[in-house]
Formats: sequence, C-alpha cells, structure tokens
Amino acid sequence: MKRIRLARVAVLFVGLSAAAPVPARAQDAAEVEQGKKLFQGMCARCHGIDGTGDEGPNLNRPTLTRAGDDDSLRAVIRDGIPDRGMPRVRRLTDNELNQLVAYVRSLGRTTSVATSGNAGRGRELYARLGCASCHIITGAGGSFGPELSAIGANRGAAYLRQSFLGPAEALPRGSSPVPGRGFTEYLPVRIVTKDGREIRGVRINEDPFTMQVRDLGNTFHSVRKSDVKAIEKEFGRSAMPSFRGRLSDAESDDLVAFLSSLRSGM
Amino acid sequence: MIARILLIITLVPASAFSQVPAERIAAAEKEPSNWLTYSGNYQSHRYSSLSQITRENVGRLKPAWIYQVRRTGIVETSPIVADGVMYITEPPSTVTALDVRTGRPLWTYSPVIPPDVIIIGSPPVNRGVAMLDQSVFVGTVHGHLIALDAKSGAVRWDVAVDENKRGYYMTAAPLALNGKILIGVSGAEAGIRGFLDAYDAATGKRLWRSYTVPAPGEPGSETWGGDSWKTGGGSAWLTGSYDPALNLVYWGTGNPGPDWNGDARPGDNLYTCSLIAVNATDGKIKWHFQFTPHDVHDWDSNEIPVLFDAAIDGRPRKLVAMANRNAFYYVLDRETGEFLTATPYAKQTWADGLDAKGRPHLRPGMEPSVEGTLVFPNIQGASNWPSPSYSPQTKLFYQAAREMGTYYLKGEAKYKAGEAFTGGGGRAINGDDAWGAVRALEATSGKMKWEFKLLTPPMMGLLSTAGGLVFGGTEEGNFFALDADTGQPLWDLQLGAAIKANPISFGVDGKQYVAIAAGYSLYVFGLP
Repeated sequence: MKRIRLARVAVLFVGLSAAAPVPARAQDAAEVEQGKKLFQGMCARCHGIDGTGDEGPNLNRPTLTRAGDDDSLRAVIRDGIPDRGMPRVRRLTDNELNQLVAYVRSLGRTTSVATSGNAGRGRELYARLGCASCHIITGAGGSFGPELSAIGANRGAAYLRQSFLGPAEALPRGSSPVPGRGFTEYLPVRIVTKDGREIRGVRINEDPFTMQVRDLGNTFHSVRKSDVKAIEKEFGRSAMPSFRGRLSDAESDDLVAFLSSLRSGM
Repeated sequence: MIARILLIITLVPASAFSQVPAERIAAAEKEPSNWLTYSGNYQSHRYSSLSQITRENVGRLKPAWIYQVRRTGIVETSPIVADGVMYITEPPSTVTALDVRTGRPLWTYSPVIPPDVIIIGSPPVNRGVAMLDQSVFVGTVHGHLIALDAKSGAVRWDVAVDENKRGYYMTAAPLALNGKILIGVSGAEAGIRGFLDAYDAATGKRLWRSYTVPAPGEPGSETWGGDSWKTGGGSAWLTGSYDPALNLVYWGTGNPGPDWNGDARPGDNLYTCSLIAVNATDGKIKWHFQFTPHDVHDWDSNEIPVLFDAAIDGRPRKLVAMANRNAFYYVLDRETGEFLTATPYAKQTWADGLDAKGRPHLRPGMEPSVEGTLVFPNIQGASNWPSPSYSPQTKLFYQAAREMGTYYLKGEAKYKAGEAFTGGGGRAINGDDAWGAVRALEATSGKMKWEFKLLTPPMMGLLSTAGGLVFGGTEEGNFFALDADTGQPLWDLQLGAAIKANPISFGVDGKQYVAIAAGYSLYVFGLP
C-alpha cells in the first residue's frame, strides 16, 4: 500500500513540476475527486448522490456503523455486505479503493445533513397517524408493512421522506432475502380467480409457476398461476397510503427525524 | 478348478479392455441409456433419443433418488453415465461415482486444493468430468488435470496444466477424443494468455497446446497493441465439440484481458471472443470466427458450439451454431468458418446489425464508462456457460435466454501476476426489470418459433428428448418440462434452491430417467 502511494506521488511530482514537491492536500483532493466519480457510477444508486442516503444508508456521517476505520471501510467496499443487500459492485484496484475510501471519508467531514425535525414530535405523529397498525417497531405493531426497528440505520433521510409522501415510488428492492435479488418488495398485486373472486394484496414471493401473496387483511394466499384467471402486478402503486398534502413540511421533518432515530434492530 | 481358471481368463481381458473407447462416444446415439460425454454427443446436442417419458406421461414424473453433495457450494455438474455408474463433480473439484439405481456413492475423490488457490473470474465450481477407456478426467480449480481410475477413484496421473499462481484454473469438463483429453483454461480476469491443451489419455503427457492469443509474428498478432497479448485473456473455459470426419475440434474462447478497459489493447484482439476450429491431431487452428472484435463488455464466446447438418439455400451444409453471449445467434459453415447468418435472440443495444461477413456495426457510446453505461445484454450475457439443446427431431435449437442490462463501468487495469486484471465491472439491472425465456429457434435461421417466459434471467441449461420434451430449470428452483413443439408447460416441481446446472437423461433396467442438480443436491426423476 505504502509503495503504491509513494509511486503515485512520484508520478504526480514528475507530471506537474520538476521543482516543488506536491502538497499532500492537492493529492488528496485529486483522490477525493476521482473517488467521487467512482462513487457516482457504483454507489450513488443506493447511497444517494453525495452519499446523502437513499435506499441505502447515508454515508455523510463522521462514524459509519460497519466501517469504523479505513480498513473496515475498504473491506465493505471490496466485498460488499451481501446478507444486508449490499453487493460487491466490481473488483477494484488498490488505487481505486483508496480513492473511494478518501471520498467516503470526505463526506463524513462535510456538515452532516441532519434533519431539522424533532424526533419526539415525530414519534407522537407516528402514533397519531396510526402507522403502528401496519409497522412493527421493537416488537410492537402490525406486520403488514416492513418492520421499522432499525430503519434509520438502513435508509437515508430523503428515502424515508419519500416513503411516506410518495410510497409508490419508494418500494424497497432487494433489502430482504425474500424475494431477494433486487425484486420489488411489497409490490401490490391483483389476482382474479377462475370463479371471479378478487384478491388484492402484496407479493411475498414468486416463480414462473406460482405466487405467494398477503392480502390487505394480512392473510396469506398461495396461488398457482395456471389456476387463476388473471394476475396483475401493479408497478407504480403501493399498498401504503400517501401522506403527501396531509402533513406540513415541519411535520414531515419531525417524522423523518423520528424514523432516522430508529437504529436498534432487536 | 478348471472352471475357475476359465472364469479368470475370461475376466482378465474384459477388465483390461477399454470400457469407454472413443468409438463409443462417437456413436453415442446408439446407446441412449448412457451419457458418455459432457453434452451427450460430440455434436453437443444435449438431446436424448430415449422416448419413454412423453408429453402424455411427464406429469407423473417422480423423484427416484436424491444425492446431497459433501461440501456446500454452487453445483454446476453435468453427470456422465456409463454402464450403471454416474460420475458427477462436486464443488470445488471433487469427483464422486454413484450407483445410478440408488444414488449411493461408490467412491469419491477430492484433490488437495491449496488454501491460497487463486480463482478469479468465477465461483469455485466444476461442470463435470470426461470419461475415456478406464478413466475419468477432471480439471481442478488449482489448475490440474487429473485422471482417475473409473472403478476405484484412484489417481492414474495428475498434471499441472499451468501455474495457478498466475491465475490459471479450470472448471470445465474435459473433452475425450481417441487417446487424448482436451481441456481449456479459465483465468482471463487475472490476465492469463489463454490456450487449449491436449494430453495423452494414458500418461498425462501434453501432446499439443493451442494458444488463443498469438505471439508476435504469428497470424493475428497484428490485432494486439504493444505487449498486451501477454495478458490478453481468451480463456477456453468451457467444453468444445468435435467432428470426427473433419478431425476438427470446435472451441469457444473468452474475453480479452482486461475485460472492461480496452485502452491498452488496441485492435480486434484475436482470437478472443471467437470460435476456433482446431485440428485434433496437432492443435493447429484451421479457421476462426470472431463474434465480438475488441470486446469491452466481457462477452466471452465460450458458449457451446452445436454441430448439425442442414440444407441452406438448397445446398447441404455442415454447420456449427452458437447462441452467443452477445445476444446474436450465429450459424457458420463448420468446414470453412464461413459466416452464413446471425440474428438477435435476446435484447441487445450494442450493434446496429452485422455486415456480410458477420462483423458487428458498433453503436456509438456503448463502451463502459466511469459513471456507468447502460447496455443490453448484461455482463453475464444473453447466454453463458449453461448448455443449449438441439433436437434432430424438431430441428430446433433451444436456448435459455437472459433479458437483462448492465451499467458497464470502466476502471483502472494494472497487471500483477495472480491478481484481478479486469479494468471495471458493472452494476446489473435485476429484479423485476430483468427476465428470461426458454426460446425455440429454427436452427438454420435463428427465427424464434416459441418462447416460455421465466421470471428471472436463467443460469441453467436445457435438454431435449425424443419424447417431445424440453427440460429446464429456474433461478427460483422450479424444474420443468415443456412441449418441444409448442413450449407449453407440461410439468414442474419446486426443488428448493436455484438450478444452475445442465440436465441429462439416461436409462437403466428399461426405464428412462432425467437428472438435474439444484442447490446442494442432484435429483434423478423417473416415471413411477
């Protein structure tokens, strides 16, 4: 590692000027800039532009949960965290790894976009809106929608806001082992049986021959595709109501602050 | 006493006599109860002329036995069946012989794989053995070719094909010809210089080596800039086909190295992403056809070359067809390598058609970039290592097609022996945005006759049978049978884990069976 860094300094040295040594800061800035380009291609889709978080956690924090030091950050980028939905996007050279680490660390030094909301008021709002009828937090609540006990550790603030203002555009993908492999979770489906009965619910799992569904009453159905009249996958919709227009900006901030504070999976 | 001596006399020649000579493999269609070579015959049809399991009765198919592998890992094996014994491989490079009637093991052999083995480019898998005379042959992830006694699993010989420390390794089933064993190497992702080797089946002595990347001065070397040929890739990592009458071996070659950054290797990069026709006697390349010149998307052309004869424009031709990873289905004259036709069999966005010689007209702006460039097909291709099937009965070429795109990423490429030399990668579009299909193509034209849609891009092979069936599997674990004429699903069963293997069929005691690996198990099905 050390040798690679020295070699690069030497290249820069020759390339830029034969007289003055290159200040370390300039080299760092170039590294960060290159890391940013790599980040945009590989990471921004889940971690958000500038690491502000999206479907994946925000990275613009001084301390990263699974990457306390540069070596562990390097390992996370190099190997992914497959059981948590983070893939190894591609193989990287040591140089590229250093660039990405430099960029992600630089995000932690920028002012963290802390939500301006009040988590306490957000908690009250959560209770008042009846969110617990469909979501479990630390063991309590209904189980139709995703569990939220650690949602703040796994999602960025913008994604959390989107999830209640426009849930149809924020259905999670590939964050759970089932159905896995990037499939949309909680996808609304409409099934018409051969005797004309309609089942509305969300997809749990699917293969070419069958589908597993929970209806809006949270009752499980197993469907063989050849045995029903129609199956409609309702992309662009969500079983969760949208709260757009029902919350003030300040209330939305409070709710985001509360959801962001949920970081303790049981 | 005399009777016993007579018995010994009659037994000795029998055991010294070649059990599976190459003549048996060359005439595989005469004994459909056995499955003597990777793709069922030298033409790589993966077709069974057994017809006991039919459209009418396939709905009653039941498991006959299930074998679970000893060590977890992806099971990609395609079994060999000979005279009541099935030979399979288990991850990473273990060979096991099973009683075909019961699935009970007869022996198992695991080579010592060094803990620092270098496997860059695929998971540590194995796709099957070859059988010839009294031995079975396996290529290993540490780069060895090993001959085992078929009766006991004892090692007859063990040779290092090349240095694993430089990234050479093997996952493919070898191909057994008369007196020789052919094997190609993996390792382009570590910047190897690819080759196809032939070894004396009795001794393990290397008979010839045919490099897939020419050295300076050799024909094709002008298609490489500077020293880039030294790390030029062109792995020969899957099993080829053979035409005994022409004495030609047909072998697909892989991507150039580094995969996604072609800056340091200007030119077409022969013979990467090509089909090479190699003289089986001396290893000389008789002709080549390059599907993807100067590939920058990792579209290896190692897919199975399928040999068949048919009339084209009223003229009988000896043909070779490949459903290439780049999403085109190609038909070539296998005597000369002449390009005859190509047509897309899956979505592609990289070429605006091909010229009269089969060279693609590249669409601009489809190269990998630091930000990511969305291109179809995806990084694993419209096809990959899983086998197609050709039915002489329907004259259809069955292919499991992958409908998927990738954001192709360009990165740095610095060569260091035994390390990844890839220069980028990709971020795949998957989940509900990707899908797949089993497609039946008219073999001479590539025109689609029918398709059966799959939820997910498949990584599994197909088998067609004289019972009018096509067997296949899914990522979700379904094993199924389709009507070979119409694609209608006739039977399916959930096997509990993704199917990433090729099916085969065999017979024993007058009954037909179908075998497929799924998850950590090998399943064998028959009628009750």
